[in-house]
Amino acid sequence: METNQFSPEDKALLDSLKEAIIALDDDRAAAIAEEVVESGIDPKLAIRYAITDAALVLGEKFDAGEYFLPHLVISGDLMDAVTKILEKNIPQSETEKKKVIVIATVQADVHSIGKNLVSTMLKSVGFEVVDIGVDVPSAAIIAKARERNADIIALSSLLTTTMPYLKEVIDDLVSMNLRDRFKVMIGGGPVTREYADRIGADGYGRDAIDAIDVAKKILSL
Amino acid sequence: MITLLEIAERTQTGEKIEEKKWDRMFFETISSLVKKYGIACPAEHCYINRDDDMAARAYEAAIDFLEAMGIYCITTHRRVALTREEILTAIREAPTEILMGEGRDRRIWKQRRVEGQEKLNVCPGHHTPFSEDLAGLVVSNFAQIPRTDFIEGFNFSHIDGREIIGAPMEVYASRRQLNWMREGVRKAGRPGLAVVYYPINTRAEDLIGVMDPEQGLRRTDGILLSLLPDLKMEQDMLSAAIVYDEYGSFKLSGSFAIIGGFCGGIEGAIIEGIAKPIAAMIAYRDYISYTGVEHIHMLNGRQILMPHVNWGRSVVNQALNRFSHTICMRWVIPTSGPGTDLCLWEAAMQAVEAPVNGMNLYAPRHCRTTMNHGQTPVEAEWMIAVSDAVIDQGMDRQGADALLDRIAGRFEGQKPAAGFDITQCYDLVHHQPKPEYREAIDRVRAGLREMGLRLDG
Repeated sequence: METNQFSPEDKALLDSLKEAIIALDDDRAAAIAEEVVESGIDPKLAIRYAITDAALVLGEKFDAGEYFLPHLVISGDLMDAVTKILEKNIPQSETEKKKVIVIATVQADVHSIGKNLVSTMLKSVGFEVVDIGVDVPSAAIIAKARERNADIIALSSLLTTTMPYLKEVIDDLVSMNLRDRFKVMIGGGPVTREYADRIGADGYGRDAIDAIDVAKKILSL
Repeated sequence: MITLLEIAERTQTGEKIEEKKWDRMFFETISSLVKKYGIACPAEHCYINRDDDMAARAYEAAIDFLEAMGIYCITTHRRVALTREEILTAIREAPTEILMGEGRDRRIWKQRRVEGQEKLNVCPGHHTPFSEDLAGLVVSNFAQIPRTDFIEGFNFSHIDGREIIGAPMEVYASRRQLNWMREGVRKAGRPGLAVVYYPINTRAEDLIGVMDPEQGLRRTDGILLSLLPDLKMEQDMLSAAIVYDEYGSFKLSGSFAIIGGFCGGIEGAIIEGIAKPIAAMIAYRDYISYTGVEHIHMLNGRQILMPHVNWGRSVVNQALNRFSHTICMRWVIPTSGPGTDLCLWEAAMQAVEAPVNGMNLYAPRHCRTTMNHGQTPVEAEWMIAVSDAVIDQGMDRQGADALLDRIAGRFEGQKPAAGFDITQCYDLVHHQPKPEYREAIDRVRAGLREMGLRLDG
């Protein structure tokens, strides 16, 4: 983003916040976030500059093999905490609503690592991710998506025999007249783009990095 | 060894822990042990570990890790705690040889030694989807490879023309899988050859429903019961382990660690990679494991070569073979598909690596396998030939490392090749590769000979 809207001092402060997040230093990040609030910097711009940029760097570090899944989990929690501090002075009505993704591994499938990776990567780039775990029946996935007014339902399947449950969720959405309300993206070891097209999913992610682009694309972000 | 009943009770009575907390503990504990034991990649890149002290330290770290963590039951969200004595007793009492199969097809699958000179045991194929029309024929082709010691089953999405969904259809499909396997080995003239059930799902009914001496799983056959990543177990798998322990079937486990998961980087993955097959031995009585470390970028086919992954894998397998009774296999997962030069080069690399690290060979298949597009008998026969040449030449770790470095040169600037369906590059009726694939084999064989490997044929 354009940085000329900040004074040199403010920019230095925001840069140090970004660095603290990337270094996963939660105490330092929280302290700097408080300083940002006191300095009067527009919190929305601060979030966009520091948090969004930090998330991109974290994603690059993961892709490069420098950071791993636990780092992303820690950074996700850290960015949540920093955002809450920065949002203190924003009236509730002006708080930017994050896009919500409900994610699950489908019924009869207990594999979690791919789903966890996607969940964490999506969180790191600013989505609100509601991870409802593994072996989740279609009805429970749809109920959670409705409860959280989700924008996307993201589904994972590692087994050939649980792929039909991906289709079941989409079919249930159709039969409940909810298909237009949620975008559906799918992924997992045996899942292919052709299969996603065949069952009427809106997006297919080959891996966790790909999933970010897919989520943004299907929401036109 | 601690009984499976005791394990079952601990899954019900152990400390209750949220999975997220377990994941964090996993990372924190493994990170501290990486530091404590000085686990680190060598400064100069190499494919095979030659630092025996490193393997010894990694093994100690893994035992500490297992003692500190135990195993997490995802069904009950409880920790199955293990004492050091229980862990060491299990390691000591586990067998180093498994008898499998019947009659003249009976085989002994053995633990190998680092730089051991015995020929490798081989499971040539499956663990990949095949369509119903090809199923019996494919099994028969893999069973016709003379060195085949057992064959693993495969998964599929349809049965009798219907998409499989729900437990009853899964049970039916599981039984059909075993029917095809038994029929395939009979047609190959090897009715007693051991088959291993590849679970098409992990429900207890799917796992146990295949038990059938006449048409399904015999006492001399096996079943794949894998631990999940991050030392996680399931009660359905444990139920099956209890049943098959009494029935007599042997059990296998997928026990590699994934770099980038909650174990962290390569150093943490080495510790998990050693601890996991030992945990599988304790939790499910898995005495044969495909072991090592893998990287997500290679599992999803984004990168062909990552030398530190080969090195990490060698540390894990050397440690397990030197200090434990874990029977190790190399699960070969080329990033390129069958029918291509690159697939053969990748498979060759791992067939050079396996014997010097003390591993047997297990089911080579394309990392992004899809229906009928994962493997042919060629890759297995090729790997047998390469690993035999490595042993016949008396290659040690240093020699293997130098050869791997030369092979790696072939991958520079290359991207994984998609490859072909089995019927496009292999003649299942005449049990031979199609001419184009034969030419690829000849090219890669010539290339390996130029590099100094004395390959026959």
